[in-house]
Amino acid sequence: MLVWFLPLFLLLLMVGLPVFFALLAAPGVMLWLNGQEKDLVLLYRNTYNGMDSFPLMAIPFFMLAGEMMNRGGITMRLVEFSQALVGHFRAGLAQVNILSSMLFAGLSGSAVADTSALGSMLIPAMEKEGYTRKFAAAVTAASSVIGPIIPPSGIMIIYAYVMEQSVAALFLAGIVPGILVGTGLMVVTNVIARRNGGADFPDLRRRATWPEKGQASLKAFFPLLTPVIILGGILGGAFTPTEASAVAVAYAAVVSLFVLRSMSVKDLPDVLLKAAITSSVVLLLVGAAMAFKTVVSLSHAPEALAAFILSLSQNPIILLLLINLLLFVIGMFLDAGPAIIILGPILGPIFVDLGVDPVHFAIIMSVNLTVGLATPPMGLVLFVASSVSGERVESIARAILPFLAIEIFVIFLITYVPAISLAVPGFFGFL
Amino acid sequence: MAGFIGTLRGLAALNGAMLRAGRWLGILCMALMVAFILVQVFWRYILSNPLPWPEEAARFLMLWLMVVAPTALRRGGFVAIDMIQLALPRMVGGTLTLGLLLLSLLVLVVAAQIGWSEVTGFSGKFKTSALYYPTTDGWEKMPRSWMMASLLIGIVMMVSVTVELILRQIGIMAGLEDQLPIIPDTDAVGAE
Repeated sequence: MLVWFLPLFLLLLMVGLPVFFALLAAPGVMLWLNGQEKDLVLLYRNTYNGMDSFPLMAIPFFMLAGEMMNRGGITMRLVEFSQALVGHFRAGLAQVNILSSMLFAGLSGSAVADTSALGSMLIPAMEKEGYTRKFAAAVTAASSVIGPIIPPSGIMIIYAYVMEQSVAALFLAGIVPGILVGTGLMVVTNVIARRNGGADFPDLRRRATWPEKGQASLKAFFPLLTPVIILGGILGGAFTPTEASAVAVAYAAVVSLFVLRSMSVKDLPDVLLKAAITSSVVLLLVGAAMAFKTVVSLSHAPEALAAFILSLSQNPIILLLLINLLLFVIGMFLDAGPAIIILGPILGPIFVDLGVDPVHFAIIMSVNLTVGLATPPMGLVLFVASSVSGERVESIARAILPFLAIEIFVIFLITYVPAISLAVPGFFGFL
Repeated sequence: MAGFIGTLRGLAALNGAMLRAGRWLGILCMALMVAFILVQVFWRYILSNPLPWPEEAARFLMLWLMVVAPTALRRGGFVAIDMIQLALPRMVGGTLTLGLLLLSLLVLVVAAQIGWSEVTGFSGKFKTSALYYPTTDGWEKMPRSWMMASLLIGIVMMVSVTVELILRQIGIMAGLEDQLPIIPDTDAVGAE
């Protein structure tokens, strides 16, 4: 009987019940129908205990650090730095957009923050240079998915917590896949620009001189130091990820308030509030997911699902292909964070039993669901790119297809070449 | 009809004031959380003398961020797939939305009942390990119920917000949309 809570959960989700309520309502109703009303208290307790976690505190802190970096000059400095490095490439400003996303990913763990911060600056600039608006918006949306792949990353912290993995290992495992996605997007941009014969693409810009490069590097120095502090602190054993995230907040505050003066003390309440609101929603989701996870294990649903999956094939290569398809479809409709919270406890153990490394599986899931943020019809960043650019979602969705193709190719590379994800954490002794 | 709109306006004003207070508390919690963890980093790594309380105090404050969650709920920031509701004819979609709001209310009311028994019950009587508060007889260890009350208060605030959203939905379905009080800053506050 209890096993029916999964279909009920999916039904509630599909008809539009917010994920938080669906995570509690479906198991709650099934426990009640099963005559286990007394266990409802377990759902409540696990929700509370799920939120009461020190490692989880890194989420509000990284959100706060990203929010502070977002204010004012920091995004601009990253763009200028990217311009000096790749601005002279074919489709230069599009390449700048992608490289800026990769750099921005080192400061923020969110694709939405990336799209709104870089899009509001670069989409108008690209249009002014002669790019079509839909292309500019598509490049912004496609490259923003790098945000949660390159560390720090909100979804990796959630995955690590829900699945009891090391945050540091997941952060490290995301570096190469993130760079691969970025490089792939740059190659596709170049190919599109060449094939197009320059019709929609402005003339090549001149290469930045060394003094210009030096000046841009100097201006971007403080923002670019953030990922070094975060990862260096964690890897050097100086801080836990939560402490590193608090240090990142302090660093972002000092740089924004006193060094770059891009933020004033008056802005602080608003910045703190934005981070607090988003964090409270994520905390509730994670808490409810921990309660959901308990009922998942009580219901023997993973065993039933595992038996079904294994009846399709015993070959991990084919199963990984199927799971990628499933994740990709789910990613089209659901944000990466909630999808990881829901699917991680169900799918993770099945694949780990099949011999897939848990860190590798975490990256397959995270990258796949993150790319889902930019896929039609429900990709969140498509909507953000649309509101930032004023272009219709449908046109961006069409223009983004070549970029999605390369992102899907990278997902397959990550899936079938575990070293892409595992080499860096392995090198640092996290495996 | 005037009575209905009056009730909704009264509830909206009450929620507005309650959520504003919650937001200021959330801002304070967030600022203090950062400060406490930095104190911990300084004492542990610079002075090599770790303090017992910052971690627990920061967790305490993080749990109290629950008082800003109702703001997100009211502004439509709880992640949901609303494709079907939007695709359905207006009245059918509206009825579905109303049904989902009622189900959310049911979840919240049951959670509030359990939360109350948890906070006032056995587990709430335990003490926190490193947090103290001043009394006339000196310093007392803080009861765990003070931490546990955060989720309960957040849920009770969400009950009030959900009742307002239900009344709004009834108002929309009754064609009173232009008379409904405006919810400020309605935007997407997602998990991503």
